Amino acid sequence: MYVYRSSRGSGAPSWVLQRITGILLFVVVIAHYFIMHSDPASGHTYAAVLARMHNPFWKMFDLTFITVGLWHGLNGTWGIFRDYDMKPWLSLTIYGIIILSGIAFWVLGINTILSF
Amino acid sequence: MAYRPNPPQGWIKTNLKYYKHGGSWAWILHRLTGLGLTAYIYLHIYALTSLTQGEKAFDEEMKLFSTPFFKFLEWALFSLVLFHAFNGVRIILVDWANGARYHKKVLAVVYVLAVVLFVGMGYLIFREPITNLFASIR
Repeated sequence: MYVYRSSRGSGAPSWVLQRITGILLFVVVIAHYFIMHSDPASGHTYAAVLARMHNPFWKMFDLTFITVGLWHGLNGTWGIFRDYDMKPWLSLTIYGIIILSGIAFWVLGINTILSF
Repeated sequence: MAYRPNPPQGWIKTNLKYYKHGGSWAWILHRLTGLGLTAYIYLHIYALTSLTQGEKAFDEEMKLFSTPFFKFLEWALFSLVLFHAFNGVRIILVDWANGARYHKKVLAVVYVLAVVLFVGMGYLIFREPITNLFASIR
């Protein structure tokens, strides 16, 4: 049996979660594209968004979508950087940028949805 | 000597030197499209903050996004979505469903499905100008 010994986490939980969120996003992003981005003339007025945001389903949907999408994207980005041998200060800087910008944009998106 | 997982300098050069088969290109494309889509989520979240500035600001912005140039960008972005989504399924098959034995066939399916849906989306986004074009020919 393989025993993992390292001062650093193995990354296994984020590896599994990357696949689970990926399956979710496969369905959701393609559906989102066909619903929202196949016809720019429909569903893009302020009134249409207001109506959608008063539906708890779409509100929860969008909150989940932002969270899962950002997490999958940023976990993937960090996964790419992790492949390369970096000096600790560089690794820490990139990790910091990913975490801080991720939190900032998550708050920005959540704030937009909850303003309704 | 200490174990070095990658050469500290010149990893771009090293990577370019490797012989690349279909799977290597898929790996490279998966990373590039992933980075592109992540950058786009940031842009998407930022663009929709105009919703907090009221009806006028938002509808004004949507008018800009309905111009042919932005429609084209929207369509182009879908190619990243499609490749990343279908190749992502291929990666999961390799990891969890013995996909290493048939991943090349799956890659062909990935490209075919992506192209078909991309063309289909192109028709949906540009159906008005396309319909008008054919109406004018007739």
